[in-house]
Amino acid sequence: MKIRTLRLLAKEGVSNVYKNKLMSTASIFTVIVTLFFLGIVLLLAVNITSNIEVMKRDLDITVFLNVDATDFEREEVTAYIESQKKDGIVSQYRIETKEEAFENIKKEIKNEALLKGLTAENMPMSYYIKLNNPADSDKVISDLSKFSGVNTEYGIGYNKDRLERLEGILKAFNYVLVTLLVVLSTVAIFLISNTIRLTVFARRREIEIMKYVGALDNFIRLPFIVEGLLIGFFGAVIAYLLTYQAYEWIQHVLNSILLNLGYTTLRLMEFYPVALRLFIIYSVFGVVIGAIGSLLSVRKHLNV
Amino acid sequence: MIKFVDATKVYSNGVVGLKNVTLTIEKGEFVFVIGASGAGKSTFLKLIMHEEAPTEGEVYVNGYSIHNMPRSEIPYLRRSLGVVFQDFRLLPNKTAYENVAFAMQMVEASPREIRRQIPLALGLVGLSKKAKAYPNQLSGGEQQRVVLARALVNNPSVLIADEPTGNLDPKTSMEIMNLFEEINQRGTTVIVATHEKDIVDKMKKRVIILEQGEVKSDEQKGHYINED
Ligand SMILES: Nc1ncnc2c1ncn2[C@@H]1O[C@H](COP(=O)(O)OP(=O)(O)OP(=O)(O)O)[C@@H](O)[C@H]1O
Ligand SMILES: [Mg+2]
Repeated sequence: MKIRTLRLLAKEGVSNVYKNKLMSTASIFTVIVTLFFLGIVLLLAVNITSNIEVMKRDLDITVFLNVDATDFEREEVTAYIESQKKDGIVSQYRIETKEEAFENIKKEIKNEALLKGLTAENMPMSYYIKLNNPADSDKVISDLSKFSGVNTEYGIGYNKDRLERLEGILKAFNYVLVTLLVVLSTVAIFLISNTIRLTVFARRREIEIMKYVGALDNFIRLPFIVEGLLIGFFGAVIAYLLTYQAYEWIQHVLNSILLNLGYTTLRLMEFYPVALRLFIIYSVFGVVIGAIGSLLSVRKHLNV
Repeated sequence: MIKFVDATKVYSNGVVGLKNVTLTIEKGEFVFVIGASGAGKSTFLKLIMHEEAPTEGEVYVNGYSIHNMPRSEIPYLRRSLGVVFQDFRLLPNKTAYENVAFAMQMVEASPREIRRQIPLALGLVGLSKKAKAYPNQLSGGEQQRVVLARALVNNPSVLIADEPTGNLDPKTSMEIMNLFEEINQRGTTVIVATHEKDIVDKMKKRVIILEQGEVKSDEQKGHYINED
């Protein structure tokens, strides 16, 4: 196909979008809705993934010794942890002495009556251990539980619950994402193909003449493909701008909520680092739905 | 050259449009196809331009065989044919000039060729002065001339017309027929399906008479339905 023919036919497609204002607007709108929701869910999923990473790094193993643990038993546990640190498994650890534990509990429990008769001697000593790799946690925990000084009943464990809950949410998000993707893009494709159908109908005379004078099938298809691509692309650009606005807002609100709840390490990431990638995803997606929509319609109603 | 070999067209609803037609139309001939309404005239022309394919038998047109023709060849078959209809089929938002140019653009003629050819084609049909007029500013006869210019501009070897004068008064019809004859004398094969007795009788061309899809008679210098 020669450039001037391409231009002629593409121009036809552009003017079809304009002539078909109402349906084009409706189609663009569905592309916007599709991409907007997909984008927000996608961004949140990315955030959850990155925050899970942050949390894993922060994960503490806590080990409480028995209240009556001997000095020897204490040395044994400390030596084990030190050796693990030397092997690069433990990144750092902190000891909370009986005295510190007593100070902390005094701060937590304001009611004097409950503290009555309680001394530092009644408090257990404990360790807060950070690992370099969370995957090692099961082994470290099982090693620690073998020491006689360690309180195995309630004194050993870590915040696995919160991690598992987040991973559950992430999985659910992925399901939502895939479902949204399928449902919304089907709707968008359907509407676009319907728009194109109207154009095919409006241009049937021209198409007929094109066939009679021996235009190639691709010539006949091209204006409709261009129309679909444009609808998809316009929708993508508008959806992108809306997503940007909405995300900034969500980020602002959620971050201040997280901060108020006392989570200092959990944050929604900035938009800018993913801006370009997201724009490309949007454009490609919009253009692909547009093209599929118009191809379906051209196939069905144009018989070319 | 066009050759029908035992060609039959049965439409999907079972109606027989054309039945066991065998005949040859040589290059440069002028042929009328006549017959009562529903006799198969349009079907005959549709097989030639592959608007329909024969269900049995074969039709050869300018070296293409219409039965089982690959899709990709159809445009090239059509480029060797010029087509004229009773209802004109011009694009209403294009001028006479642009309507003709459209046909050339669709086969990727160069802008130079377009500028050179269109005045010739419009001149041939006697419409040089109306190049800038839109179809709704033209009379029926003038519109049909534009259609004729469009059909001829890509130099087809065969001109096919399905009741080209069906919407025109007798005087205008005769003028259009004279144009067809002129085009035929330049070497183009002309095939016209028509109902117009006067024209057929006056022009003394080959006449193929169809009846219920079959060739009832095929005579050189024929007449409209022989009363017998
Ligand atoms: N697309 C179609 N589907 C089914 N039947 C058709 C179709 N086209 C034509 N026919 C039938 O085939 C027969 C021949 O039709 P055709 O159009 O060839 O007749 P015709 O001689 O051109 O008639 P007219 O003078 O009215 O134009 C008719 O019985 C018609 O009803
Ligand atoms: Mg007919």
